[in-house]
Amino acid sequence: MPPALPDKLRSLVGAPHVLTGVDCSPYVVEGRTPEAVAFPGSREEVAAVLVAAGETGLPVTPWGGGTKMAIGSPPNRLGLVLGLKRLNRILEHEPGDLTVTVEAGLPLDALQAELGKRGQWLSLDAGAAERATVGGVLASDASGPRRHLYGTARDLVIGLTAVMADGSLVRGGGKVVKNVAGYDLPKLFIGSFGTLGVLVEATLKLRPRVDVDRLVVARFDRLKGAGAAARAVLGSDLVPSALELADGEALRRLGLGGGGALLVGLDGIAEQVDWEVAELRRLLGPLGLAETTVLDGPARDDAWRGLAGLGRPGQERVAAVMKWAVLPSQLAELMEAGATVAHRNGLVGALTAHAGVGIVTAVLAGGTNPNAVVATLTEWRALANRVGGHAMVEWAPLAVKERVAVWDTPGPTLRLMKGIKERLDPHGILNPGRFVGGI
Amino acid sequence: MEALLGPGGVLSDPEELLVYESDGLTLFRALADFVVFPRSAEQVAALVKLASRDGIPFVARGAGTGLSGGCLPSEGGLVISLMRMNRVLEVDYENQIAVVEPGLVNLHLSWAVGPQGFYYAPDPSSQQACTIGGNIANNSGGPHTLKYGVTTNHVLGLEVVLPDGELTWIGGKTRDAQGYDLVGLFVGSEGTFGIATKIVVRILKKPQAVKTVLAVFDQVDQASEAVSTVIARGLVPAAMEMIDQLTIEAVEDAFGCGYPRDAAAALLIELDGLAAGMEAQAERVVQACRDCGARDVRAARDEAERQLLWKGRKSAFGAYGRISPAYMVMDGVIPRTKLPYVLGRVNAIVAAHGLRVGNVFHAGDGNLHPNILYDPRRPGEEARVVAAGAEILKVCAEVGGSISGEHGIGLEKADYMPFIFSEADLACMRRVKDAFNPTGLCNPGKIFPSNKACVEVGPAYRPHPIEEKGLAQRF
Repeated sequence: MPPALPDKLRSLVGAPHVLTGVDCSPYVVEGRTPEAVAFPGSREEVAAVLVAAGETGLPVTPWGGGTKMAIGSPPNRLGLVLGLKRLNRILEHEPGDLTVTVEAGLPLDALQAELGKRGQWLSLDAGAAERATVGGVLASDASGPRRHLYGTARDLVIGLTAVMADGSLVRGGGKVVKNVAGYDLPKLFIGSFGTLGVLVEATLKLRPRVDVDRLVVARFDRLKGAGAAARAVLGSDLVPSALELADGEALRRLGLGGGGALLVGLDGIAEQVDWEVAELRRLLGPLGLAETTVLDGPARDDAWRGLAGLGRPGQERVAAVMKWAVLPSQLAELMEAGATVAHRNGLVGALTAHAGVGIVTAVLAGGTNPNAVVATLTEWRALANRVGGHAMVEWAPLAVKERVAVWDTPGPTLRLMKGIKERLDPHGILNPGRFVGGI
Repeated sequence: MEALLGPGGVLSDPEELLVYESDGLTLFRALADFVVFPRSAEQVAALVKLASRDGIPFVARGAGTGLSGGCLPSEGGLVISLMRMNRVLEVDYENQIAVVEPGLVNLHLSWAVGPQGFYYAPDPSSQQACTIGGNIANNSGGPHTLKYGVTTNHVLGLEVVLPDGELTWIGGKTRDAQGYDLVGLFVGSEGTFGIATKIVVRILKKPQAVKTVLAVFDQVDQASEAVSTVIARGLVPAAMEMIDQLTIEAVEDAFGCGYPRDAAAALLIELDGLAAGMEAQAERVVQACRDCGARDVRAARDEAERQLLWKGRKSAFGAYGRISPAYMVMDGVIPRTKLPYVLGRVNAIVAAHGLRVGNVFHAGDGNLHPNILYDPRRPGEEARVVAAGAEILKVCAEVGGSISGEHGIGLEKADYMPFIFSEADLACMRRVKDAFNPTGLCNPGKIFPSNKACVEVGPAYRPHPIEEKGLAQRF
């Protein structure tokens, strides 16, 4: 880092909002400590910091709550971490429009609490919501079980503002729920992991809060039974908000026994949910259902939180976490195969899945031997790829990442992605080297 | 091209080309040099390679029901019609996806999967004619997008021919494709990023129950208020459509759908979902409308009555043909709480230009469709229509809205983009376009302010006699 830069940063955002030296240690990424950390207080300050960094060629890594910073290939160099925690205001909430405009550094839980006071919520249940920020959730395209009914960030974001590498402010979409004017830049920024611009504002679609929200845990002796149950639910009239498969090891870690289970979120007005619970029992009865438990209130929240927390980095005895995307009909069989692979390598797999959309979270535990972890992740990826799906290492120690690619080998469309990156960030200063294909 | 496509695959007679000189917005016209009809993705790729080798502009075309001039060959060259690529290639009910060709008519997909209890949710009013490929280009909406979202929320993957002729897949059958969301970018790019040749869409289970309510108001403001009140009370209708008095009269003249002629406005509100709780929710909707001053609220008693109510809504554009020689449909979006204010402004603007306007629109989404009625035979009237339209879109922009909710920018609104986007916004969009379409040969002249080089404007379209009889319609 050029010696003058820290002073420059202090002049731009104020001395208390710049960290250097050992103070940067909470912002380590993949073992690398940033050369400085700056917390701008406005989008104009974000722009000024980006311009200053760009002039010296210093790479910039945007940072929300830091909960997804483990995703990505290890960077060659970690320059400036740009923290967005000071951009944390709700700018506009008009309940009658069911929309809200917020700054990117606002934590998800804080937003939900404010919306809740007006009887609304953002139907995006990404984990670690007490720390995760709106901007970080969008940049990493994080979601949770309720994506089954309510979709992901791409379905809920109607406008985004980003500061580009050259300091210009770019807005895509708008503040209205339906809008086809111009290219859909919000889609481009969602899931781009800070490689195209720094998200500073977002406008989101909201929903009215539901009267009743229950979680039915339907347990089976084997995961296969739960898989058949998931297919039965998907083919029925039920409209669950969430539909999760959990294997025996995942259930043991959640304190819910073993075997296999289908976790069904049911929400709406009481009359609807009551009917759905009864209908669910009727449907699943003939499929070898061992037991159902209906959870509400704190017990329900604890169960959902536990499920989201299974794969959180730093969780005790977790060696790695991988995400697979496959077809829903392939899930139960692949999850069983995945657990077998882990076992054969002397490890334990705890696998859960969004059963309606085909996303598996495969948690590897039971040991940290890098050879065993590498072998398992490699075989897991092959399992997903073989059925036409894809796999991504969501978290693994650096020693493992050096031997297993975080992302799948990109296809011919990498050319387009690189073309976009080069045009929007020509000097490659935004979070370089961490994304697909080395972007 | 004839060698590639075989007999009947290439049109070049001026009389035949005339058929393709405009889309549903007949204000703009441009003639292609050739219209070609490929039958496979490989043929599309070969055509695009030929065109790009020789520097010939090209544009894909579906059914031509677009309303912004988006598929016009504004610089001549090739129109690539996808109407012969109209198959449902694969339906996977277990995974609730279908793979279709771009020329498939939207409604035909719902017909194909209907017997198994499924449907394709995006339902533009033109769904009897428009194609899924055209829907991809425009990110089309429809009445039920209020609950189910627009086209982009239902597309998982696309096989595309890029502007240099490369055939490739973006996205696929599985979710969360790695890398940038190219599918999200492509959908709604108005044919400027390439040509989709296979499309993976979600199909949904049909809802167990549907309830349709018609609420009648003596004042437009009461109806606008009811829209916000229904939403504010936590109800999520599948659709919430508003029809104003002028439109009601036109519809009643044409079809007799049972809307009261003396009403200032009517709201058509549809709930769908589980049968359990449906009555209770319908009651809450009825109450909300009454609280806002509805003079009459009634639910359709059976499917036939429901269909009749929807016919009035979906046929409204055609019905204008009964009361006016021509009309131009606008497509602005506003925050729904601004409805009373903006509707007042719309009426004032149109009146100031000495014209009449009918409003029939997706009130729940705040997606306005003011239809400005005019007579193209009267000198200068068309210019006044265009001027009034621009003023209306400016008002939409001023209240934080958008200049297009579902019809696209195309040629029509390219010059209005600065109403809502800054220079930096547009520069970013141009850079993204450049990554896909560096030569600019793929659908030139679209969506950015600049040239309309070879485009002819007016004299306008006259309704066909069968349209005037209500037997056919533009959407």
